[in-house]
Amino acid sequence: MYTKLVLPLLLFPALAQNGHAADTQWVLQQSTLTYHVSHPLHQTEGVSHAAKGKGVCHAGLCDFLIAVPVKSFDSGDSNRDLHMLQATRGAQFPMVVVRTRVPEDASKSTMVQADLEIQFAGQTAQYKQVPFQVVAQGSQIRISGTIPATISDFKIDPPSLLSIAVKNEMPVRVEMAWQGQ
Amino acid sequence: MQRALARAIAAFSSTVFLAEIERPPLESVALFPNQAQGNPQQAQPPATNPAAPSLGDLGFPPAQTQGNPEEQARLDQRSHMLKIHQRLGLVTTIPLLATVITGSFAGGKSTSSTTRDLHAALGSVTGGLYFTTAYFSIFAPRVPGTQTRGQIRLHKALAWIHGPGMILTPILGAMAFEQKSRGEKIHGAASAHGAVGYVTAAAYGLAIASVSFKF
Repeated sequence: MYTKLVLPLLLFPALAQNGHAADTQWVLQQSTLTYHVSHPLHQTEGVSHAAKGKGVCHAGLCDFLIAVPVKSFDSGDSNRDLHMLQATRGAQFPMVVVRTRVPEDASKSTMVQADLEIQFAGQTAQYKQVPFQVVAQGSQIRISGTIPATISDFKIDPPSLLSIAVKNEMPVRVEMAWQGQ
Repeated sequence: MQRALARAIAAFSSTVFLAEIERPPLESVALFPNQAQGNPQQAQPPATNPAAPSLGDLGFPPAQTQGNPEEQARLDQRSHMLKIHQRLGLVTTIPLLATVITGSFAGGKSTSSTTRDLHAALGSVTGGLYFTTAYFSIFAPRVPGTQTRGQIRLHKALAWIHGPGMILTPILGAMAFEQKSRGEKIHGAASAHGAVGYVTAAAYGLAIASVSFKF
C-alpha cells in the first residue's frame, strides 16, 4: 500500500521541476533618461545616467522595475536643478519608479508596446501602449523610446519664468541597455 | 491522511518531499496571491510574478530612497524667496530705467531743477527696491553641497558689479547734487556719478538677461 502511494510522490519533485521553468533575469547596464521642458524663452533638457533596473521573467511574462533618483537629473544649471527638485517634491519623494510587464518574447521583436506605471512626485500615473524600439546586440538588448509624460499628470505646479509658465508636456526620452542573466 | 503519509516518508526522504506533501492539493488554491484580483489582460494564471523585483533589489542606499521633509521645506522656502527676488527684480527695472533716462536731463545749468529732483527721487525708489530685491536672494536658504553651475554663475558674478554700483552711484549722485545746488560745476569724484550709474544699470540688465535667455 505504501509503495503505491510513495512511488508517485517520489516522482512529484521531477514533475514539480518540469512545471516551473527557471526564471530569466535582466539587469539594467546603462541608461540615459532625458526630460524636456519647453518655455518660450528656454528649451531645457535634464539628463540622468543613474537609473537602476531589474527584470524577472516567469511563465512567459517579464516584470521590470526601473528607478532613478530625481536629484540625478542634470540640466547644466544648478539653480534650475534645485528649482526642479523643489517643484517635483524631489526631497520628499526622491525616486522616480517605473513598473511594467511585457511578454518574455518581446526581446525578439523590434518594437514593443508597454503599459507603464510611473511613480513620481508622490503621484502615480499610467501610460498605456508606449512604443519602444528593441535592438538586440549580442547578449544585450537596447531599448529606446519616449514616455509622453506631462507636468499635470503628477500634480506639479508648472514652473514659470518672467511670469510665463512652462508647457505642460514633459516628454522623457529613454535609452537603456539590458543584460540577460 | 496527508499528515500520515508525511510522517511515513519523513523517515527516508528529504525535506523537499515534506514541503510538497504538506501543501494542499493544487487545484484547491491560487498559486499566486494576487490571482484572486484577476488580470483582464491575461487569459491564464499566473496573474503576478512572485519574484517580481522590488525597489530594495536595485541597490540604492536607504538614504537615497527615503524622503526628507525637512529638506523639502528648505527647498520650498528657498524657491519662495527666489520667486519674490525674481518679481521684485523685474519691478525694479522700471524705476531704474526711469532714473537713467531722467539722468540725461539732470545736469542742467540752473541750481534748481525739477528734473534733477525727479532723478534723485527715482534713484531713491530704485535703491529701495534694489536692496529689497537683494535681501530675498542673499537670505534665501542655501542647499549644502550644491556646486554652482551654468548661467546662474554669471548672474551671481554680476552682483559684484551692480551691488557696489548701487551703493556708489547714490553717494556720488548726492555729492553731485550738492555741488549743483551750490552753483558749482560738478568736479572730483562726483563727476563719475554718470559713468558709474550707466555701468551699474548695464550690469543689472545683463544679470536679468543671464537668467532669462540662453547664451
